[in-house]
Amino acid sequence: MSDGRAIETNPTRVSRRSLLKGAVAGAAGGHLLTMLDARQAPAQIKGTSLRMLVWSHYVPAYDVWFDTFCKLWGDKTGVKVRVDHIPHLELPARYAAEFAAGAGHDLIYFVGQILTGQYYRNLIDLSDVADGLGKKHGGWLESSKGACQVGGTWYAVPDFFISIPVLWRKDLFASIGMGEPKTWDDLRKAGGQLKAKGHPTGMQFSHCNDANHNWRALMYCFGAKETDPSGQNIAIDSKEMRESLKFGKALYDEGMTPEVFSWDDASDNRFLASGVASWIHDAISAFHSTRITNPKVFEQTFVVPEVAGPGGTWNVGEPNVWAIWKFSKNVAAAKEFITHLADNQKEAMEASLGYNMPFLRGQYAKPMPYLGKDAKLAKLQDQEKITAFLGYPGPMTPPAQEVVTTFIIPDMFTKVARGASIEDTMKWGVGEIRRIYAKHKAS
Amino acid sequence: MTQASPGGPPPPGSISVAIGGRVRDTSWWRTPTARRYLFGYTLLAPAVLYVGLLVGVPFAFSLYLAMSDASVGSPVARFVGIENFKSALENAVFYTAVRNTLVFTIGAGILKGLLGTTLAFLLLQPFKGRKVVRALLVIPFTLPIAVSVLGWKWMFDSQFSVINWALSRLSLIGGYGSPDWPVWLGQPALALFSVMFVNVWRGFPFSAIVLLAGLTSVPPEVLDAAKVDGASFLQRFRKVIVPMIAPILFIGSAFDTVFTLSDLSIVYLLTNGGPDGATEILPTLAYNTGIRGGALGRGAAISLFLFPLLLPAIVLLLRTLRRRQY
Repeated sequence: MSDGRAIETNPTRVSRRSLLKGAVAGAAGGHLLTMLDARQAPAQIKGTSLRMLVWSHYVPAYDVWFDTFCKLWGDKTGVKVRVDHIPHLELPARYAAEFAAGAGHDLIYFVGQILTGQYYRNLIDLSDVADGLGKKHGGWLESSKGACQVGGTWYAVPDFFISIPVLWRKDLFASIGMGEPKTWDDLRKAGGQLKAKGHPTGMQFSHCNDANHNWRALMYCFGAKETDPSGQNIAIDSKEMRESLKFGKALYDEGMTPEVFSWDDASDNRFLASGVASWIHDAISAFHSTRITNPKVFEQTFVVPEVAGPGGTWNVGEPNVWAIWKFSKNVAAAKEFITHLADNQKEAMEASLGYNMPFLRGQYAKPMPYLGKDAKLAKLQDQEKITAFLGYPGPMTPPAQEVVTTFIIPDMFTKVARGASIEDTMKWGVGEIRRIYAKHKAS
Repeated sequence: MTQASPGGPPPPGSISVAIGGRVRDTSWWRTPTARRYLFGYTLLAPAVLYVGLLVGVPFAFSLYLAMSDASVGSPVARFVGIENFKSALENAVFYTAVRNTLVFTIGAGILKGLLGTTLAFLLLQPFKGRKVVRALLVIPFTLPIAVSVLGWKWMFDSQFSVINWALSRLSLIGGYGSPDWPVWLGQPALALFSVMFVNVWRGFPFSAIVLLAGLTSVPPEVLDAAKVDGASFLQRFRKVIVPMIAPILFIGSAFDTVFTLSDLSIVYLLTNGGPDGATEILPTLAYNTGIRGGALGRGAAISLFLFPLLLPAIVLLLRTLRRRQY
């Protein structure tokens, strides 16, 4: 855990990572100064201080940019800004502690687990900020509401979402006479044939974030739904869910090795970079890390936003959103900062190497920052049209989050892949999900 | 001699004493016995206060949470009785977690006992550099747990495991991708063994140090006498050493059991309870339900199931210890 991260200056040893960080920070610096001149902050926040708690971004260069952005904004507005970065898995425990103590950061950040539904009674109503930004930037994506609204009120404001596309090896696919994969069936076929050639595929069957995203992408593409759109009624006990489980098993049997049962969020990145993987389903951080660690493999690595299933094409993204505690000592500065960052989302996207996908429709004007300049990533410019979030088609409610944190969906796919019958697995999984929803309804 | 006071019977809590023909009322708390009690309790008070605040209050608070529908974001909770405990018992994963917790605690306890004892005897022998080895021994125990577990995570990596590469080089297993390539954190039995192994690696130096402290307190004359009487090593260990160091052994075992049973970090960092609950233990289930899932009441109830598991073991140990002392 690290608090109050210092901004690196004059590193004595230049590594690839620091070079990348430096380049991004340098390039962004000029833009930042221009942007900061463009907007005048309200005078009443001058002389105050703002403490914010954020995650450690998967793209380290983004954190460098973000810290510089905060510092420059603080200098310009006269606000003393302190940014605390901690790993995203530790955020829920920190929020529980801050809430219990009734003290902590002025501005907080939900990522991985969206806790808007849990804490909304203790969060500031941010409808003024969200509505203002929506009007200015062409409106919010519909999917953002599920992560930020409770009962139609904005208790959080979207920052960006992470998309999790398919990363595939063009040379390996070509070796079996296949081109760009269009469907899950294509991925299954390629996985099966390439495993025999020493190039298996893999998606996590373990208890990690990616497992929750990847198997849900398959489910949604097969037409399976977790709940109805209200998020109140479970809809997972369906023929489509059974079909997706059956397909998941085939995908594992034909194209994967048992190592997928042990993978964490970074294992597939290493799997791709090692040159073994034929394809993976992961955020583009894997794409960027392969660029640095294995340029030859990177040359042959391409990106598909998502592949289609019988139920359509759905990519499961990971939203990142801002919120403000009611006990925050500087609500005005926190709101001002959220607005300022959203206004400059294009710069943020550039700094994140195309990782941060905007929630505001107006920010999808092509060419998009970074993505529009990279031939391989350009396809992600329409990602907002196929993005769903955990709990789809319902909002990210507390029971939906508990289903996520207890890994019921990945465990269902794991059980079937390991040989359990689909009906037994459905009975177990649906039973667990029903139990969780019933408990939340009762409380 | 005691007399009734002229005005009627003495008030409760006081005694009347005749001194020099006069009767004087003396409160009980002024007697030497009372003063002795008062002095004793005053000395005991800081310890009672300390235990009460640091153990009693959190325990009472977790009991309150376990019997309420508290969630991380809801300041006002309703009393729900034993509903959360019933909910845990309806959860299939809970039974897996109980089983794994017992296997983890007992298995790790046995291994730590065996390795700790062996190591303690080895370190008792005179050899060059013994002091350095004794100092090095505590390294696993003193390293920050996150750092050491991260190291093990790399060693257990499915693709780049140094253990597997070494075994493969020694031709004990096939190469990467072969069917006998172990996936330490991916195969259910191996995954549970792996997390247990890391706990043993981290904990057995503690067992060895505790035993070493006990062993050095055994008078050599007693052991020599047993040797002269023809007792073998095992007989000396069982009939002489163990009875003499039993109090230390019991306290060490009690500490180790508590630490192992409530060990969240190793499993959380290595597998987070996966795959498919193969390494799910009560602390990870409680954390994921209560903190990450936000259901504080249900999380607290799951964690309180550790209490009945621990209580009999601790009571048994302490009773045995007391019997041996008197």
